[in-house]
Amino acid sequence: MTQLILFNVTNGLIIGAFYVLMALGLSLILNLSNVINFAHGGFLVIGGYIAYTLEPYLGFWGALVASPFLTAIIGLAIERVMISRVYGRDPLYSLLLTFGLAFIFEDGTRFIWGANGKPFAIPAFLSQPLSNEFFFITGYRLFMVAMVAVMVSLLFLFLRYTRVGIRIRAGTLDLETVSALGVNVRALRSLNFAVGIFLAGLSGVLAGGQLGLEPTMGSGLLMPSFIAIIVGGVGSLPGTLVGGLLIGVASGITAAVFPSASEAIMYVLMAVVLLIRPRGLFGEEGMLT
Amino acid sequence: MSETHRKLAALAAIWVVLVCAPLWMPLVGGYTALGSRVLVLGLAAMSVNFLLGFTGVLSFGHAAWFGLGAYGCGLILKFIALSTPLGLLAGTLLGGVLGGMLGALIVRRRGVYFAMVTIAFGQVFYYIAFQWSSLTGGDDGLRPFYRQPLHLGFTTVDILQNSTAFYYFVLICFAAAVALMGFLLRSPFGRTMLAIRENERRARFLGIPVEMHIWIAFTLSCFFMAFAGSLYALVNNFADPRGLHYSQSGDFVMMAVMGGMRSFWGPLLGAVVFVVLQDYVSSITVNWQIFIGLTFVVVVLFFPRGLLGFLQARRRG
Amino acid sequence: MSLLEVNHASKNFGSLVAVRDVSLKVEPGELRAIIGPNGAGKTTFFNLISGFFPPTSGSIVFDGKDVTGLSVARRVALGMARTFQITEIFPELTVFENLRIGAEVASGYRLRPWLGKSETAAIKRRVEETLELTQLADKSSRLVGELAHGDQRATEIAMALTLKPRLLLLDEPTAGMGDKETYEITRLVRRLHRDNAFTVVLIEHDMRVVFHLADRIMVLAEGATLAEGTPGEIAANETVQAAYLGKAA
Repeated sequence: MTQLILFNVTNGLIIGAFYVLMALGLSLILNLSNVINFAHGGFLVIGGYIAYTLEPYLGFWGALVASPFLTAIIGLAIERVMISRVYGRDPLYSLLLTFGLAFIFEDGTRFIWGANGKPFAIPAFLSQPLSNEFFFITGYRLFMVAMVAVMVSLLFLFLRYTRVGIRIRAGTLDLETVSALGVNVRALRSLNFAVGIFLAGLSGVLAGGQLGLEPTMGSGLLMPSFIAIIVGGVGSLPGTLVGGLLIGVASGITAAVFPSASEAIMYVLMAVVLLIRPRGLFGEEGMLT
Repeated sequence: MSETHRKLAALAAIWVVLVCAPLWMPLVGGYTALGSRVLVLGLAAMSVNFLLGFTGVLSFGHAAWFGLGAYGCGLILKFIALSTPLGLLAGTLLGGVLGGMLGALIVRRRGVYFAMVTIAFGQVFYYIAFQWSSLTGGDDGLRPFYRQPLHLGFTTVDILQNSTAFYYFVLICFAAAVALMGFLLRSPFGRTMLAIRENERRARFLGIPVEMHIWIAFTLSCFFMAFAGSLYALVNNFADPRGLHYSQSGDFVMMAVMGGMRSFWGPLLGAVVFVVLQDYVSSITVNWQIFIGLTFVVVVLFFPRGLLGFLQARRRG
Repeated sequence: MSLLEVNHASKNFGSLVAVRDVSLKVEPGELRAIIGPNGAGKTTFFNLISGFFPPTSGSIVFDGKDVTGLSVARRVALGMARTFQITEIFPELTVFENLRIGAEVASGYRLRPWLGKSETAAIKRRVEETLELTQLADKSSRLVGELAHGDQRATEIAMALTLKPRLLLLDEPTAGMGDKETYEITRLVRRLHRDNAFTVVLIEHDMRVVFHLADRIMVLAEGATLAEGTPGEIAANETVQAAYLGKAA
């Protein structure tokens, strides 16, 4: 029995870690620019497919490193050309814009790479399980979690100790003042967006290694990211982190006890949080109202 | 021609076009059932706009109430009673009441957070519709059920086989809903909605309890939405879980924006354009989603005021 | 009984103390001015009175009733009306429409789906009376967003008046105005106070306006009360002169 619970909790943590990576990128963009990036899943897919395309030339590790950067550059271009035009306006427009982009990405991927799933090869040593007892912890899954942990740490260090990071955090709280202090807000938003997309692209590569690549894989991950943010509290990155892990673990545990409800539990969690603490676990009163 | 005369003339023109649709539609390559479909989707877009354009509140999960209306109507017709009016009533109540209940949870939030939560709510229902397949038919949708003939006492109208009769039935329902909507918007309550949209802070400092009024507007729009959804179930004799998905919500919002959010009839126009565009593009290419996405992008970047807004601006300036 | 009583109100934003133990008593029919350097906490104080946010400590009593925990809309319903430093109006509606909303809300019609003939007429009368009072009748069908700054501010005051308030809170009513407009607004406020017996509390920077209108003046500096008294007393007060008046023109 413990074996089963352990299995599912670990599974849950791994999934949760994944949600965290996606949700953090989404949260970054949401907090600073007040934009719900519906296309986030699309960037994930692009990240995965770019890695797939590069792998024959750069190998797994090369693709892993290059793809997020390339995806971030694409994201940056889109932000500069399109998204930045709607910042000042009603949030409705950025929603519709990223919504439309999501459609374009999904179908565009289908158009370029075909509708069928593609395999994404990972190094052999990673696909070995850790041990016979912990057969469910393959090297790759550990690797994914490790990557997420590294990224999250880097992100938090970036936000806490670099000048740009501090400006991003300040901008989240009061963009007007930051601008008045002479910071180039346009550039800040672009950079922030690129960082968020970097995370999405990386998620795509990691997901590809675990699940294979498919044009529709992004949209299924968007909702859990949303819920992670709502549960953890809008405006709070630590909240998003906790939220993502929480729904991952909850999902994992539920899978052990009540397999068909493992997806539903996320929504239940969200409903509970909204009822008891509408601002989310770590949310600030008045954020994004 | 004075402003009022112009408006009345436009109104008359719209109704003439709608009433005569079964006559002119075949001439432009359409068919009556398409007209019914467009009317219902137009009503849905107008219902979203009741909240979005006229109160200034962004709900991006409004398809949930549409879908609930469709399922409510279908479930009645399939399992409980062979009565079209009952189906309509049940669907409208299901979507409206649930919308009101959930709306109460979230009215304190606004802006993107509100939008996010409405999306998530919508997805809950989408998920339930998928999972509870014993009741809802799951992925295949709810079927079979059929719209029942209307027993009007002196005569029976066969709206199932006779698509023209059905079109007029839908038009009458549409007219009733739209009239009520217009009536509400012109009322003192409707004016408080406009006040909230124009300047929420000022509205509050005039003594309007903003959260309560937004909740009422939200709930009203959910009822309208659910009514449209029930009609849609009748149009298709089918309820689709995809009608609950947030992408359907996005479509409705886009219809409203495309036609012109600040105008009453704009969303109907947007629905016409959207449906025609979608039908046309999907018939010529398999990658029609790219074009839909492009449409979204183009409208947002270049025609944010929609068709009617664009025309209005040109007339003025 | 005082119309408005603020008892030892304080407001902290985290570690920032914006308002520090300020008390105020306003009698019916009085015109009280609140002056002080920028950042003294005057607008924050107004926000406390009108219910924009709750005080960290202290209480607000309006017409004998403790309103400290009440929402903005509730306080407005009880008779408080407020204008803002940056004019808050409905720019894309006409003057008439702007005033109509307040009139309907104050008449209890805010939830009504329709109005009878006599009710509509009553609203129209109420709006027209206010237009007369504020001398905006000739601009009644103009879009407020297109009016001159002074007229917009007058419209905002008119909107407050349609509520038939017991207390008018005016936050820098002459802000950003040239001499002529300042004169017009000052005349309007004076008329409202002298002829129509409105109780007014106003925040002002323009000392000519303050000394022309006020019955009593309260001086705030750095969140706390620096001095209080009649215009004569304040003008003669050396601490006030040093801190504030000496700097103003």
